[in-house]
Amino acid sequence: MTPQEEVENLIARVAMGDRAAFNRLYERTSAKLFGVCLRVLNDRVEAEEVLQDVFVTVWNKADSYKVNGYSPMTWLITITRNRAVDRRRAMKLPPVPIETADLMPDSKPGPEASAVAASEARQIKACLDELPRARAHLVRRAYLEGDSYADLSEATGVNLNTIRTWLRRSLMALRECLSR
Amino acid sequence: MTDHTTPPEGPEYEDDRVLAAEYALGLLSAEERAQFEARLDSDADLRAEVVAWDEHFASVILDEIAPVDPSPQVAKRLQTILFKPEKQSFWQQIWPYGLGGVAAALVLWLTISTGVLIPDDTGLQPDLVAELAPTPDGEGLVIRAAVDTTRGAVEVVRAAGAPPEGRVFELWLIAGDAAPVSLGLLDEGNSTLIDLPQDLVALLAGALLAISDEPPGGSPTGAPTGAVRAAGSLTSS
Repeated sequence: MTPQEEVENLIARVAMGDRAAFNRLYERTSAKLFGVCLRVLNDRVEAEEVLQDVFVTVWNKADSYKVNGYSPMTWLITITRNRAVDRRRAMKLPPVPIETADLMPDSKPGPEASAVAASEARQIKACLDELPRARAHLVRRAYLEGDSYADLSEATGVNLNTIRTWLRRSLMALRECLSR
Repeated sequence: MTDHTTPPEGPEYEDDRVLAAEYALGLLSAEERAQFEARLDSDADLRAEVVAWDEHFASVILDEIAPVDPSPQVAKRLQTILFKPEKQSFWQQIWPYGLGGVAAALVLWLTISTGVLIPDDTGLQPDLVAELAPTPDGEGLVIRAAVDTTRGAVEVVRAAGAPPEGRVFELWLIAGDAAPVSLGLLDEGNSTLIDLPQDLVALLAGALLAISDEPPGGSPTGAPTGAVRAAGSLTSS
C-alpha cells in the first residue's frame, strides 16, 4: 500500500467510527499538520489548539471526504491550513516584514525555471520559479503563512490595490503555466 | 496548450480561475467569498478549479514544511474529547448547571442592573433571571433568560451561538425532580418572548432552565430528544 493509499484507507475507517484507525491516522499525519499550524501561527500553544481542533473535525467529518474530490493529504492539509489561517486572523497577528530588496521589479526567475515537472509539487514549484522572484515570494507568503492582501500590503509598504493586482497577475501566470 | 479539454478562453473565464485561487488562498473579502460560495454549489467546474488549486498548494506544503512533533498532550486531549463515555442522560448533562447558577445570576444581575443586556422594548420587569451556561455540546453559546412573574412571561436572549444546521432550540423548565416541561421554541432572531401559563410561573423560582436542540417544530415526543446545549437556574434579580 502506498502512503497515500494508507492515509485514504485510514480516513475511510475513521468515517466508520474506527478509533484505532483514528489513532493511527494521528500518528501518521499529526507531525506534518502540526508543522503547517506552526508555520502559520509561529506559536506552539496556539498551533496545538488548532491541531486538536483539526482532528476533532477529521473525526466528525471523515465521511464527507469521499465526495469532495481531494487526495487524502490535500484534504487534511487544506483543513489544517485554513483553520490555522482563521486563527491567525482572529488573533490579528502582525505580518512578518518583507525586505524591499525582495520586491525589486527586476528580480529574475530562478535557475530551475525550465526544470521538467515530474511531480505535482515540482510542477507548481517550476511554475513559481517562472515568476519574478518577488511575485513568487508573495504567493508563497499567502499560501504558506496565510498572509491576506492587507498583511502583504503592511509587510511590504506597498499599496493594497497594487498588491492585489500583482498577486492576481501572478496567479493567472501560474495557472497558465500549470495547464501547459 | 496541450490540454485537450481546453476550456474557452476570455477575460471572464480567466477571472474565475484567479478567483478560485484567491478563494483557495483565503484572500477574498467576506462579501466576495459569500458570492463565490453561492456559485460553487451549482458550478462543478468552479469546484474542480478550487480543488486543483488546493492540490497544487498542498503539494508545496508537503514538500516544504518540515514535520514537527506536537506535545503528547494533544493526543491525550483528543482521546478525552472524542472518546469520553457514551452520551450522558439528560439529567447527567444538566446537573452541574444548577450549582453555578447562583454565581452566574449574580453576574447577570449586575449586568442587567446597568441596563446593558436585556433590551427594555419588551416592557418586561424581570424578577427572576438565569444565565444559561453552555454544556460541552453548547460551546460558544451565550444565552440569558429573564422572567417577569407578574406578567407571566420569559424573555430569552441568545447573545452568541446558534443551533446546528436544520435544528431549532427548545426551552425547558425543570422544577425539582419533575420531568422537563417545554416552554417553547426560540425564535431565529436573538430575542424570544414566551408567555407562561400561571400554573408554571409558581414553579419558576429556583427551577432550572435548559436549552436542547430539536428538529424543526420542536421535540416530537414532548421530552428533550437532542443534546442539552445550555442550562442554568433561575434566581431572584
